[in-house]
Amino acid sequence: MHNTISLATATKPPQGLSPFDETTAPSAPHERPGPCLDELFIEVGYYQEKKHGQGAAGDVFLSKKTSDGHLISVLSDGLGSGIKAGVLATLTATMAMQFVAEDIPIQRAARIIMKTLPVCKERNISYATFTIVDIDGMNRVRIIEYDNPPYVLIRQSVECEPIKKMLLVHRRGVPKKSPPEPFTNARMYYSAFEALPGDRLIFFSDGIPQSGMGSAPFPLGWGNPAVHSYIQQEIAEKPDISARELAQHLVFRALLHDGYRAFDDITCGVIYFRKPRKLLVLSGPPIDSNRDRELADLFTRFPGKKIVCGGTTATIIGRELGRPVRVCLKDIDPEVPPASSMEGADLVTEGIITLGKVAELLEQGPRFDRFRANAALHLVEFLLDSDHIDFVVGTKINEAHQDPSMPVELEIRRNIVKRIASLLEERYLKKTTIRFI
Amino acid sequence: MYQDKTVKVVVCSGTACYVMGGSELLLLDDHIPSRWKGHVELEGSPCLGFCKNKTQGKAPFAVIDGEVLSEATIPGILKKIEEKLGET
Ligand code: FES
Repeated sequence: MHNTISLATATKPPQGLSPFDETTAPSAPHERPGPCLDELFIEVGYYQEKKHGQGAAGDVFLSKKTSDGHLISVLSDGLGSGIKAGVLATLTATMAMQFVAEDIPIQRAARIIMKTLPVCKERNISYATFTIVDIDGMNRVRIIEYDNPPYVLIRQSVECEPIKKMLLVHRRGVPKKSPPEPFTNARMYYSAFEALPGDRLIFFSDGIPQSGMGSAPFPLGWGNPAVHSYIQQEIAEKPDISARELAQHLVFRALLHDGYRAFDDITCGVIYFRKPRKLLVLSGPPIDSNRDRELADLFTRFPGKKIVCGGTTATIIGRELGRPVRVCLKDIDPEVPPASSMEGADLVTEGIITLGKVAELLEQGPRFDRFRANAALHLVEFLLDSDHIDFVVGTKINEAHQDPSMPVELEIRRNIVKRIASLLEERYLKKTTIRFI
Repeated sequence: MYQDKTVKVVVCSGTACYVMGGSELLLLDDHIPSRWKGHVELEGSPCLGFCKNKTQGKAPFAVIDGEVLSEATIPGILKKIEEKLGET
């Protein structure tokens, strides 16, 4: 049995060696400096399709960030489908989540769950499978798998095969023997590694590899090897594909094999360790027009996507940089003024009305596909596709907006940006900063 | 009929103009009679700055061949275009 992990197919010397013992459990003090958390953003995305005709899903996917900086994700698949399977999977996933969040080392947590889970008498298998992923603040990943398809780790677009340690757990109702026998005992697999920027961890329920089973192209189902090459192909085609999207693509593909009537619950979770995507939102003219140049410089120097939210603001930047601002007259919306374009900006919108609508959309989310496509929705999409968002707010008061004859009340820019930033932080787990100029 | 004449209409889509009815004005293209097609060029603009200056009148603003029209309406703009094209 191996007691270290190496990444078999990695071309570089294996990084993130991590001993397989519980002394490196999440709560252990950190001796080595890991990659700085600030530089790495962990995106968790998942997608799920219920078995056709079932009212409830029999798979459960949960994830959360704990106060001490751990990120825990659990996928559990209950035996069978429908509500009974869903209850077992929920029980398993919630238990796992709770134990790991309470700092119980992942291996012990898994053993407790195994001993608690009921066992199916006829088939001698537990009523629910699970994959538990625990990532600490230093990006060290620990994974325990029980009976789910093996997870996939993609590093630099190559699949790596972490070495896994088999843990035998005595199952309830089976006579105890020593040493334990691999066939009568439950086999769990433990692995650990240190995540590097760009790593992707993909795990799924058996609804994915078993999709299409019995059909002419896949008599035995899609199969793990084919699933793995599909994942690699997706990433090769779109190297920065988000976790959300990749999970969705896999589930859609499996669903296609099932002829759009899922034979089983299909669930996929993806964890993507990536450099944070930065977004700059400039809104409002500076209080003092001497600072117009500063605003334009902020705009040019920013390393990331840039949005200008406000016609006057855009005009100022355009004037300073000698770039025209053009209003786009396609798709005029009765509620939100049209977007414009300017070289170097990913989006230019009107200010206050659009921001007001953005706040409203963020409050109503997260199903944005129900809303009409307009500049505000476009801006929301940019916000949600980013991890770190810097708002720079000009504080000059627009006299024209203070006119009492205006038919609508226009909010103060500062307040509305604050509201948007706190929604992004609390509901969408983004990092934001606001600066006034 | 209008020789090579084109009239340029700039409609403000800034905040003040938009809430004062400018959103309608951006749909001007749908109201242009077919005989004028090709002779009217419509453009949107961020705040033209008139709203901040009381002497120019009230929003919404449109500029037709350089002439500022305050409290603009679709019929008002069409009338101005008519004038510019020399139809009246
Ligand atoms: S918003 Fe139209 S002139 Fe200012």
